[in-house]
Amino acid sequence: MRIGFLLFILACTTIGLAQMRVVSGKVVNDVNEPLGFAKISSKSPKGNALTANDGFFSIQLKDTVSATLTISIYGYQTQEVVVGSGDQNLAIVMKPEFSDKKEITVIGYGEAKNKTITGATSKVDGEDIEKMNMARMDQALQGQMAGVNISTNSGSPGGSANIRIRGLGTFGDNDPLILVDGIVYDSQGLNALNPSDIKSITVLKDAMAGIYGVRAANGVILIETKNGSINRKPTIEYNGYFGLQETSKKLDLLHADEYAVIKNEMFAMGGQAMPFDNVNVGKGTDWQDQVFTRSPVQSHNVSLNGGTLNTRYSIGLGYFNQDGIVGGKKSHFDRYNARLNFSTDLSDKLKLNSVLLFSTEGRNTLPENGIGSVLYNAINAFPTEPVISPMGNFSYMEEVSDIINPVAQIMNTYNWNQAQKFVGKEEFVYKPLSFLTVTNRFNYNVSLVDSKVFSPLVWYGDGKYANTALNNQLESPTVELTSGFEIDRGAAIYEERNTFSDLSYEGFANYDQVFKTDHQVKATAGVTIFQRDGKSLNGVAYGVPNNDVNYADISANTTQGGYLNNTGSWEFTERLVSTFIRAEYGFKEKYLISMVVRRDGSSKFGPNSRFGTFPSMSAGWLISEEKFFQFKPIDLCKLRVSYGLSGNDQIPNFAYRALLNGEGVYVFDDVITQGVAIGRPANPDLKWETTRQLNIGLDLSFWKKLSFTTNYFIKNTYDLLFQPDVSALMGSYGPGGYPPVINAGNVSNKGWELELGYRSDRTKDFLYEANWNFTAVNNKVTAVPTGVDYLPGAAFSVGGDVATRFQKGYEIGYFFGYQTAGIFQSQEEIDNAAVVQEGAKPGDLIFVDQDGDGVISFTDDSDKTYLGSAIPDFTMGFNLSGSYKGFDISANFYASIGNEIIRNYERQQPYANQMSYVIDRWVGSESSFDVPRQTTEPTRNNVFSSFYVEDGSFLRLRNLQVGYAFSKNWLRKIKMEQLRVYLAANNLLTLTRYMGYDPDLGSTSALSAGVDYGLYPQAKTIMVGLQFKF
Amino acid sequence: MKNIKRLLIIGLVLAGIFSCKKFLSVDPPYTQDAENYFQTPEDYDRALVGAYDLLQTSFMSLWIGEIASDNAIAGGESVNDSQGLHQIDAMTHGGVNNDLRSLFRWNYVGISRANYILENKENIDFPEKAHILAEAKFLRAYYYFELVKFFGDVPLVIDKRLGIEEVRNIDRAPKSEVYAQIEKDLKEAYPVLNAVASQKGRATKGAAQALLGKVYLYQNKWTEADQMFDAVITSGLYSLHPVYTELFDVAHENNSETVFDIQYSGLEGGGYGCLVCLEGNAAPGFQGIRQYNGPVYGDGNSYNLPTEDLYDFFPAGDPRRAATILDIEAFIAAQPNPSAITYAIGAGGHTGYYNNKYIKRQGEIGLPDNDLTSPVNYRVIRYADVLLMSAEANYHLGNTSIAQTYVNQIRARVSIPGVSVNSLEKIYNERRFELSGEGHRFFDLVRTGKAASAIPGFITGKHEVFPIPQVEIDLAGGRWSQNPGY
Repeated sequence: MRIGFLLFILACTTIGLAQMRVVSGKVVNDVNEPLGFAKISSKSPKGNALTANDGFFSIQLKDTVSATLTISIYGYQTQEVVVGSGDQNLAIVMKPEFSDKKEITVIGYGEAKNKTITGATSKVDGEDIEKMNMARMDQALQGQMAGVNISTNSGSPGGSANIRIRGLGTFGDNDPLILVDGIVYDSQGLNALNPSDIKSITVLKDAMAGIYGVRAANGVILIETKNGSINRKPTIEYNGYFGLQETSKKLDLLHADEYAVIKNEMFAMGGQAMPFDNVNVGKGTDWQDQVFTRSPVQSHNVSLNGGTLNTRYSIGLGYFNQDGIVGGKKSHFDRYNARLNFSTDLSDKLKLNSVLLFSTEGRNTLPENGIGSVLYNAINAFPTEPVISPMGNFSYMEEVSDIINPVAQIMNTYNWNQAQKFVGKEEFVYKPLSFLTVTNRFNYNVSLVDSKVFSPLVWYGDGKYANTALNNQLESPTVELTSGFEIDRGAAIYEERNTFSDLSYEGFANYDQVFKTDHQVKATAGVTIFQRDGKSLNGVAYGVPNNDVNYADISANTTQGGYLNNTGSWEFTERLVSTFIRAEYGFKEKYLISMVVRRDGSSKFGPNSRFGTFPSMSAGWLISEEKFFQFKPIDLCKLRVSYGLSGNDQIPNFAYRALLNGEGVYVFDDVITQGVAIGRPANPDLKWETTRQLNIGLDLSFWKKLSFTTNYFIKNTYDLLFQPDVSALMGSYGPGGYPPVINAGNVSNKGWELELGYRSDRTKDFLYEANWNFTAVNNKVTAVPTGVDYLPGAAFSVGGDVATRFQKGYEIGYFFGYQTAGIFQSQEEIDNAAVVQEGAKPGDLIFVDQDGDGVISFTDDSDKTYLGSAIPDFTMGFNLSGSYKGFDISANFYASIGNEIIRNYERQQPYANQMSYVIDRWVGSESSFDVPRQTTEPTRNNVFSSFYVEDGSFLRLRNLQVGYAFSKNWLRKIKMEQLRVYLAANNLLTLTRYMGYDPDLGSTSALSAGVDYGLYPQAKTIMVGLQFKF
Repeated sequence: MKNIKRLLIIGLVLAGIFSCKKFLSVDPPYTQDAENYFQTPEDYDRALVGAYDLLQTSFMSLWIGEIASDNAIAGGESVNDSQGLHQIDAMTHGGVNNDLRSLFRWNYVGISRANYILENKENIDFPEKAHILAEAKFLRAYYYFELVKFFGDVPLVIDKRLGIEEVRNIDRAPKSEVYAQIEKDLKEAYPVLNAVASQKGRATKGAAQALLGKVYLYQNKWTEADQMFDAVITSGLYSLHPVYTELFDVAHENNSETVFDIQYSGLEGGGYGCLVCLEGNAAPGFQGIRQYNGPVYGDGNSYNLPTEDLYDFFPAGDPRRAATILDIEAFIAAQPNPSAITYAIGAGGHTGYYNNKYIKRQGEIGLPDNDLTSPVNYRVIRYADVLLMSAEANYHLGNTSIAQTYVNQIRARVSIPGVSVNSLEKIYNERRFELSGEGHRFFDLVRTGKAASAIPGFITGKHEVFPIPQVEIDLAGGRWSQNPGY
């Protein structure tokens, strides 16, 4: 229709007019591709022309007079060209709209020019994420932005990281809201997202996130996936790498001979017979060498991008495959991705944006990050034991019941996980008037998560907790289900199928109009309706034939009657209905003000408090636009202030009501009989956590090269949602019972962020860029529920004391235990000490008497004190890149300073292997001032004290890359646009004093952060990569 | 085009008329919740199973009853392993003690589950309801008796669940009121309960009468106690099992001597993460021989180790010594190939003795982690105990001949000569011979006024009861005072 009309005009204008000349030319885009259907118009004489597919056009102009042509095409900036009287064969280069994508940022339900943003945001481009060559977006985000702290839960393939925006706001779920092209994308499912599909990541850190209301308190991450461009011929891009990974560190453990000497000493000191007659046993088994391996990682991504006059498309395919550095294929992750971004103009005014992301991923895991994990066993296994005993079995190490042979453990572990995810939206953008856009979108996010655990019949030695067989003949135990009905409890397969589906509708209108050139008024109003359903089904089948993993499926159940054990299921539905309004006003892009109100109703909360209102506002002042500001080097100076409320609704569904999901089981007539019990008492007043955040920020830019952004924030979270200890009288500490979820307790985060960026002149051969960011957050619990002194966190050692706490006046999860003050060197010193330390002998740790009563109390907490916290004093990211002609180099550093770690991977057992620092143990007066004596007799040296707390500060070179791009001229001959090869390394260098595997130690639970059970370390990876485009 | 516009308009209209409140009121799919329960007789019975469940935490009462007394030390892997028990062993325990806290919590769970049934007793009527309610009362009485034995005055919650605010407005009830409630519940329960259980494990008339007798005995109400024990003895349903050494076998469980047993099963696995979830008995595994590798026994955690004092207390000819106490070195030496048998000594303490009544034995091993899943029942009240308690009541009432008869019945069972019961001491001694290792000793010492002389570190006026866990005082709004001396 439109095309026909334009052709008609074109035809009209070419009908013979005298004293005219014909001017011709070619319109191309910034990458020299011809643009068809660009409109060329001239005012005098009035006339229009369109370019042909090859970009060529001709138009009639008045002879001898210069004229102005306006060239416009959708997706590009309209430009005017003055045509002199003699000009012919014009070459017109169109710049894409917002040619510098860095100038536009997506904010919730709209976008904004960076210059006019009044909130605190940070943005990273997709290239910077992709360049890190990491499996997950969150891993690649570490050190990229101020105020966004990433810590790693596990270095295993597919292992997750934690994203913490501006500190820990809560004891509970601290995960930010993640939206991919506007679609809610749960942080647990991030494995599915291919970093190569990302165009940009924007983080809303302050009250600006308030447009997302009850889900915004932990910050909001907006991810855009790549899309095509109007009027571009299709380009195909490939980006792939292959790498080899190995552990970045091995612990310094005792060799067999050192072990034998020290164990003999321990037993002798404890008055027991020495276990080793001969201590000349050589180096023995290095269990770490047995479990660590060198393993491959590879990634391949292909994308097809392009567009026609009214359609844009981007299609991506990805494959990722990684084996673990512990156990190789037994700890594995692979992923296939497919992506389609498609937009088309259904009419002049109506546009359709369609996104579909599909992924399928598989993950195999080994027991990790806990007591009984493979690395925990490898650390504590006896170096004097061979991997395989002379009898031909894996060595048993029977002296300690909870240490098993880690090599056998790897072999016998079969955990699979598979997830399929479909995420997408259909979005209709209707623009009836130039100042009004109405968007209606329908989003979906469906995940199918399946897992299987095969437990073969195994025998690790007498008394081992992990045995599933009755004896070393692998006989299976039997279970009597009802009287007279017995089944063999042979090799077992556990299967679980979970389905989650989100459906949502969002409708909103954006209004944007400028009055009298100086007054810009913008407004957004909308509604969203969100529903999430989840269901699960699980069960165990016994008697997998032949103890063989190849038959490990519920269908292979050999039990009489097909009986499944421990079958279970659950189902939930949650809903959220919201309305929101945002109003913005700007005067001359100099004074800016914005106000947001969102009202949320959530099915998660009790009937007494189901709806919440979350207002926020922000203002900005571009001082550099003022007349009085005449300071040339500074081209931008903006002061920003924001304040607002947001909420956190991350609690289990139906937490406000008492369900019969407790466990009530007793034995009648020798049969285990199922009853019912209340799981968690009701709390009909349950509501969201509220965060109030103030942000003051300053943006500066010097010579358009050096940018500087700083923010100071105060973020207070109130009415924390958690389950503190409640009085025993509520009866909630039975089997399957939990305390009620209540609103109590406050947390404060105050912090300071700094981002510095420098970009060299774009016109030189040698280009370089440097970015540095800095974050300091001061975290403090400001209130706990009444009657509760503190909430206990992680335990130290096996069955030991609680070592971390949530307590008023301290950081979330701070460490609490005895402070040591060296070693008692002699009995005389003990006798003369001002403080009585019961049971102390020479060589024992000296504890500090905190309450000053002259006695170290081991029966209560009066002499325990603050010993540090996992929260760093500050973190920094430093990114450097440079290029000279075809060569490029980049480096990405991350540093975390002032965080402490609890060394909790040492099994405090007489026979367990130890770190080599015990070689410097106390053996007599003045022999050691920090490592206590080694003995099997009872001592207090293994209670939680500062002896087990280490400085976890580190600086890490996360990524280093050197590349070479072949010259364009040469490539043109082989019809290629780009060809680059590179060499890259991840985690090449880590500077730290921490003794454990990896100081980058996170935990999904705020109270377990910094407790190291033998973390699966991040791999050191060397990669070669190839990128090309044609 | 027009169609799309129409669709959009329809969508907007639909969004406009749609009701928020209804949409947001989501019921948990396929789930019964606490407020719409008790619709059928089965609902009552299943809730009752839930109330029985907490009996299975008896291992803690057993341990503390022995470890606090002169019978046993705490033992275990190290002094920091179950610190609470070590403190109780040394009589240094205070308001911060995880083991006492667990005990306090678990018994209140049992009470609240029994209360949940009794709160809804009027919902529907059906023939078996009276029996179900009687069982619930028996259980509530059992749990309150545990609490009053350990802590003295405790808050009394009857027939209701407490909300978050209510728990801050309740005081400790005087011991006498708690006892009155226990008596009331048991007096209402025993006339209704079956004399012979419909299912092994359910509370019976005899169990309720024996428990009530014990409750009276703890209050020195000799006449009432005698009546109850007499009812049990004359019921004709109980007799002493002829072979003492078989009393603690799985194979001879629920025999004629069983008045009330807590039932366990080895057929469900379990872990240290949730001791309250276990269906097996944690005591035998915990009390097993550390890293033992040899015949007869299984390996365990060397908890609750009998003392030399207890060993020496037995006359050499009393076969109950060997049945009660395992002398590990003597046992190993007596085996065919002693050098092949190994075990380890825990740093939490070692006496050379193990509790031979509740100990992990081969052939009685549950599913993994089998340190926690023993199928061995806990004998709450044996007929022998009833006889000895009756003897004590009768002695106080001046019926020394009855007392002597009962004591000598006990002795005759193990084929040792009778004694002349000419002092209470004789009965007390017989209780120690007969019932050591079963968790009664500390409470016997306390109620007979012998604790201070028998237990080093025991302070009269303080250690008769344990401290209320300090955190429970705080959580209840800080209005309770701590027990004297703590």
